[in-house]
Order: sequence, then C-alpha cells, then structure tokens
Amino acid sequence: MEPLLSIQQLTKQYNKQHTALAGISLDVSRGEFVAVIGPSGAGKSTLLRSINRLAEPTSGSIAFEGVRVEQARKKELRQVRANIGMIFQHYNLVYRLSVLENVLHGRLGHMSSFAGMFSRYSEADKEEAIRLLRKVGLENEIYKRADELSGGQKQRVGICRALAQKPSLILADEPIASLDPRSSKIVMDALRANCEEQGITCLVNLHQVDVAKRYATRIVGIKAGKVVFDGPPSELHEGYIEHIYEGKEHEQFSITNTEGISA
Amino acid sequence: MKIPISHRSTQRQQRLFFLGMLVLFIPCLFYLDLSYGQFASGLERIPDMARQMMHLSFEELPKMLRELLTSIIIAFLCVVLSVLISLLLAFVVARATTPNRYVSAALRAMIVIIRTIPTTIWVLLAVASMGFGPMAGVVGLLLPTIAFLIRVFSDQIDEAGRDTAEAIRSVGGTWWHVVCNGLLPTLLTGFLALIAFKFEITVAETVILGIVGAGGIGVLLQGYISFYEFAPLMLGMLLVFITLFLLEMGTNLIRTKLAGKGSK
Repeated sequence: MEPLLSIQQLTKQYNKQHTALAGISLDVSRGEFVAVIGPSGAGKSTLLRSINRLAEPTSGSIAFEGVRVEQARKKELRQVRANIGMIFQHYNLVYRLSVLENVLHGRLGHMSSFAGMFSRYSEADKEEAIRLLRKVGLENEIYKRADELSGGQKQRVGICRALAQKPSLILADEPIASLDPRSSKIVMDALRANCEEQGITCLVNLHQVDVAKRYATRIVGIKAGKVVFDGPPSELHEGYIEHIYEGKEHEQFSITNTEGISA
Repeated sequence: MKIPISHRSTQRQQRLFFLGMLVLFIPCLFYLDLSYGQFASGLERIPDMARQMMHLSFEELPKMLRELLTSIIIAFLCVVLSVLISLLLAFVVARATTPNRYVSAALRAMIVIIRTIPTTIWVLLAVASMGFGPMAGVVGLLLPTIAFLIRVFSDQIDEAGRDTAEAIRSVGGTWWHVVCNGLLPTLLTGFLALIAFKFEITVAETVILGIVGAGGIGVLLQGYISFYEFAPLMLGMLLVFITLFLLEMGTNLIRTKLAGKGSK
C-alpha cells in the first residue's frame, strides 16, 4: 500500500552556517503512531513544520496522500493543511476566545473566507466540537475563555482543534514539553486514544525517551538533521539512545530524572 | 585596592557620551547669540501680562466653545477614518501576516517618509492646497495619523500574533481567517487602547494646528496672541487645558478598564 506520507531527501538550510535538516527520508503508513526523538537543535521541529510548510524546505520532496506538498500552490496547500492537524508546544490558542470557538477553528480549513470571518460554523460542527471536548474531559470548560485554563487543559483544547479538522495525519510538536508529568500523561493518553480510535496517523516530537517508548508504535531518532534510528520501540536499545544523545546526555537524563522524582 | 564593579565598556561609552554633549554645548551656546537684555525685559513684562490675563472675559465664550467643538470633531473624524484604513493595512505591513514581503517593505518605507515629515508641515501643505479651514485640518492630519496607527498596530501584530497566525494557518485557514478569527480577537482590546490614546494626542494636535489655519479653536488663539488680547486668550487656554485634562482622564479610564479585563 502506498504510504500516507513519503518524505525523500528533505533538507532545510536556514543560512550558510545552520543546516537544520541534512537529507531526511521517511515513509509513514496509515495508522502508525511515530515518535520522533533527538536532542534539542537536532531538527525535529523543522521536520514536522516542513510537512505542512510552516517552514519552507530547501530541497527534497514531501508527498502527502499523493499530493506533492513542497510544490503545492496556495489553494492546494490549504487543502493539505486542512487534512493535517497540528499540535503546538505552546498550545497556540486564541486566548481571548472561548474554548468552543478555539475547537471550531479546526473547521476553518473547510470553510470559505467569508463564512469563517463571521464565525458561521454549522450546527453539526458545533455538536461535534462539544462531543470532542466532552471526550477529553473538558465538558465544564466549553464556554470558558481559553486563557482561564491550565496548561494541560489548554493542550487538550489543542488536541480537540486538531481532531475537529477530521485529519488523516496529526503533527504534534513537543506537545508535553511545557507540562508537568501528570498533565503530560493525560494529554498523551488523549492523543493516543483518539488517533487509534479514528485511525489517524500521528507524528509526535518528544524529548522524553521513556514517553516515546510507552506510546509509540515506531520510533525515529534524529541527530544533527539526519535519521540515525528507525524502528519499533523494542529495538531502541541503550546503545542507540546514547548515540542519539551523544554529547547532549544531560538533556535526556535530566528529563528522566525529574520524571522519576515526581512519579 | 578597590574592586571595580561596573561593566567596563558600558561605563566608557556613557562617559564618552556625556563628554561629547559637553563639548557640543559650548559652541552651540555662542552660535545662537542669545540676548540677555531681551530676556530681562521679557521678565519685566510678566506682571503686566498676568494682570491682563486675570481679567477673564466671558464675552467670547460661546464662540470659543463652538470652535473647541470643531477642533474635537476634526480630531474624531480624522481618527475614525485613519483606523478604518490602518486596521487593514497593518496586517499587510506586519511581518507575521504580510501576504507579500515586497508590498510590506514598500508600505514600511512610505510610513517612514510620512513620519519623518512633521505633522505641522503636512497640515500646512493641506492648507496651502485647499485653503484655510477644517477640511485642511482633517486631510492634513490623516496621513500622519494613519502612519502612526499602522506602525503601532503592526508592531503589536508582530509581537503577539506569530503563534496565533501559525495555528490558524496550520488548520488550512485563509489570510482572512488568520486576521479575523485569530488575530483580531487577540489584539482588539490592545488596539482600542491605542486608538483612545491616539485620539487624545490628535485633539491636542488640532488645537496647535488651528494656529497654522486648520480650523478650530487654534485659529481664535492665534488671533488673540497677535492682537495682544490676553483676557480672552486666558479663557481659551483654560478651556483647552480642561478639555485635554478630561480627555486624558477618560482615555486612562478606558485603557485601565480594557487592560484589567484582559488579565494575562
């Protein structure tokens, strides 16, 4: 079967000195839950953001559902983006709007400029948005303003916004990096369960190797803009982890340590 | 030996700066050839002027109030028109939302040019081309006000809007979605405070600009000064003072109200 997402020889050069991606090739099939791990500055974020072109790749190709993303024109790109949900480290909600409005933003990609500008969402969309919020345990927060929520709650709204798009792929860029271990677990559980249930493929950037091992069906290790490991969690041995985090061991250990303390 | 505590190069720069100022000050003082006799005779006239000013005359009050209202209306019309134009253009100029980098750069350059020419000169140009009166006032103030608002709006968009813009873009939203669904709700309260602030400044400007012929109470004040009519001048100054003071209080109230509600 043709992969859902096929990345070939992707590079991204910010300037002459700084190469973020140095030729990444990666095929992702439907239904996979892929964790991308690696030290900070390895290019995890750039990789994810290149897929929906929040970052413009320098060279290489990205095919999503048979559409060449890197060549897509305005309208085509919008359609691609509408079918890819994105979850951000800092949630990126519109904090002066209600929780429900934030989730409904997930529908904007399927609406005209005019209908969206005046927030004319269909009743069916609203019902669906409320159902999603109930499912992640935010039924009492629906009409609160987004800035009244805690970090973990905000990220669950972020997940609902992505799910409201009815996407076939979700990109999550460090979704739990700003959260405490307890909220992290709730957020990862919600993400994993919803993706599995609706057959959504998911690509998650993670700092924490143990979290990646617990949730992912496949792990991709990135170091200095290159793939250095690609396989199931069971094959990710200490040797690989040490290689991935070589020279930046403190990042990996500090996170495992704090998790150990608070658990 | 004492242990030095300051940052070397910062200290050196600061000392150099003050030394430079001092060196420049001396030739400047001689260049202007200030006459101290003129200063002294001016001092002597103060009691006489003050006495005349104390005779407040209310004869001209209705006329002044009417002209004061004209000043405020000129400012109001000008600000409303400027907001309508700059609100859209700010999103074109801001780096986080611009649909085209070259258009943004061109507009930015225009704003710099408009802002480096003083407002008074814009109004004088308007007066020269369409004659004395409120029309020249509105038109002359329009360009600098628009430039100011685009500048402050776009700064706020760049400062606070990047994450939000990215979120709406990632769901496949259009430019209009990014602006209307993402950024305007986030930034509107901040914008309103800026608009209130700019209105206050513009009222003060119209009073001054009336003096160069842009209509409003400034025209009357200019007349009183040239004919040494200190009594009505005093009343006019008082009126302007009270108006600006009330306006300042009002806009402050609006700003704290808006800021308080959007507690971050």
